[in-house]
Amino acid sequence: MFGNILFLVSALFSVLGAVGVVATKNIMHACVYLLMSLIGVAGLYLTLGADFVAATQLVVYVGGVVILMVFAVMLTGGADSQKSNRFGIKKTPMMGSIGTYIAGGISAILASYIVIFRLLPKVFEAQPVNSTMAFDKTVEKIGMLLVSDHVLAFEISSVLLLGALVGAAVIARPKRN
Amino acid sequence: MNETIVTYFAKFEWYKSLVKALTEMLGFNAEPLMVFLFFFLAAFIVVNVMAVTAGLATYAERKISADLQLRMGPNRVGPYGLIQFLADGVKFIMKEGIIPKSADKFLFTLAPILCLAGVLGSLTVVPYSSGFILSDLDIGLFFLIGISSLVGLGIFLGGYASNSKWAMLGGMRAAAQIISYEIPVVISGLSCVLLAGGLSFTTLIEAQTGFPQGWFVFHNPFTFIGFFVFFIGGLAETNRAPFDLPEAESELVSGYHTEYSGMRFAFFALAEYIEVFVVSGVAVALFLGGYNVPFGLGGDGILGQFLQLGAFFSKTLALYYVVIWFRWTLPRLRVDHLMTLCWKYLTPIAIFNLIGTGFWLYGFEGKSLFELLFKSGAAAAGGGH
Repeated sequence: MFGNILFLVSALFSVLGAVGVVATKNIMHACVYLLMSLIGVAGLYLTLGADFVAATQLVVYVGGVVILMVFAVMLTGGADSQKSNRFGIKKTPMMGSIGTYIAGGISAILASYIVIFRLLPKVFEAQPVNSTMAFDKTVEKIGMLLVSDHVLAFEISSVLLLGALVGAAVIARPKRN
Repeated sequence: MNETIVTYFAKFEWYKSLVKALTEMLGFNAEPLMVFLFFFLAAFIVVNVMAVTAGLATYAERKISADLQLRMGPNRVGPYGLIQFLADGVKFIMKEGIIPKSADKFLFTLAPILCLAGVLGSLTVVPYSSGFILSDLDIGLFFLIGISSLVGLGIFLGGYASNSKWAMLGGMRAAAQIISYEIPVVISGLSCVLLAGGLSFTTLIEAQTGFPQGWFVFHNPFTFIGFFVFFIGGLAETNRAPFDLPEAESELVSGYHTEYSGMRFAFFALAEYIEVFVVSGVAVALFLGGYNVPFGLGGDGILGQFLQLGAFFSKTLALYYVVIWFRWTLPRLRVDHLMTLCWKYLTPIAIFNLIGTGFWLYGFEGKSLFELLFKSGAAAAGGGH
């Protein structure tokens, strides 16, 4: 029962948030709706028993990415974006040409075919939601896997992050004349 | 599997008989209903106790500051002015909630709720005693860090949505400060995770003892420094003085909550005071032995639980006193000093502590300083024969 309720609530959160991101015209509101959607995704991870991934989702996206996005929007003057016409959407009611319409139509048909005939049957066949909410410990397993089987990916991503850190420091450094 | 307050109560006979009686009365399996009811009740009690603690903390703050400045403090409402905070709460409820005309109404109303939700969410894993913990998640400490990052966003959005330059500056300072100070806090907390071998709060506390020589703060020199790094960083994360730049009264009127009034302002204030409790509680759980009682007094029964509650609350409230004491003793830092302290001092020290703790674990097989000293002292005195 709890599993189903948690699934329904988090699915509703993620879908409503995603719709809100697209529907709203204010870019700050879009960031907040994105936050709602990301929290919903964290809830979906919880229903699958991946508690560590859910907490990581919260730490990385809620604590980092959304705040950074809000910062970037604010510092680049995106607050009055509903008044300006930055992306030319209002100027050209018929966005795109015949070529883009054909490409968009074909990709829409392909995507709907894949979703309806390939993915949805698998979703309905899938295991029911864990109703007892009794999970195994995942932290130890993730830790062991990170330093044994996936040690190369782990090290490469840490070097990448270090590079990003050093690069940010170099860019942000005041220039000496 | 995660232990919760419900699994604690499920061990008792009366719980089982209650479930049985309800099942017979209602005609269906009442187990999930009972679990829900118990969680609801426990969460209700925890939130209300925390709200009252926060209220009393405002009273304590005013009384202690008055004491430090040779004043009287609140002394009119009730004996010694004790129910002053109730009068303040009633005033908050009665006041008109004003939203400035040019403010962003959606974000303006959402920001205090986000702030309070983040703090109340972190109460889930605060270990009051071995049984009375709402949910002892396997990822306890990590969950706490994740959910409490909502607070920073709430403060920042509050500052942005007010459409006022003071609130804006306060919100920006808050976001920068909270994100920066999360790093030393997390890294110094991680050294305790190394020692205990687990992220859940019960694992962390069971690895310590009731007496100070078993606490992680005295385990080795690195964790001793780590405790202070953790506490300073935690102070900065709660925006308390000397790190109260987001609401610096002398520069920014009132910072991020300049435009807030009534219950919305009360939400911000409540969130701040509860967060101080959470930070003190986590510092106690990680470094100061948590709910451990000397000699395991009281046993496993209800009496033991209440003794553990007493141990946890007395240590936490002592740290709370230190936080208030800091606020009325130290002057506020400058913005550049704040960032220098975080990035040039606390973060390198925290990383050094983490590596040092790792070497200590490897070199002395996880023995604490007291164990080593006692052993060498006993050997020097001719013990061990």
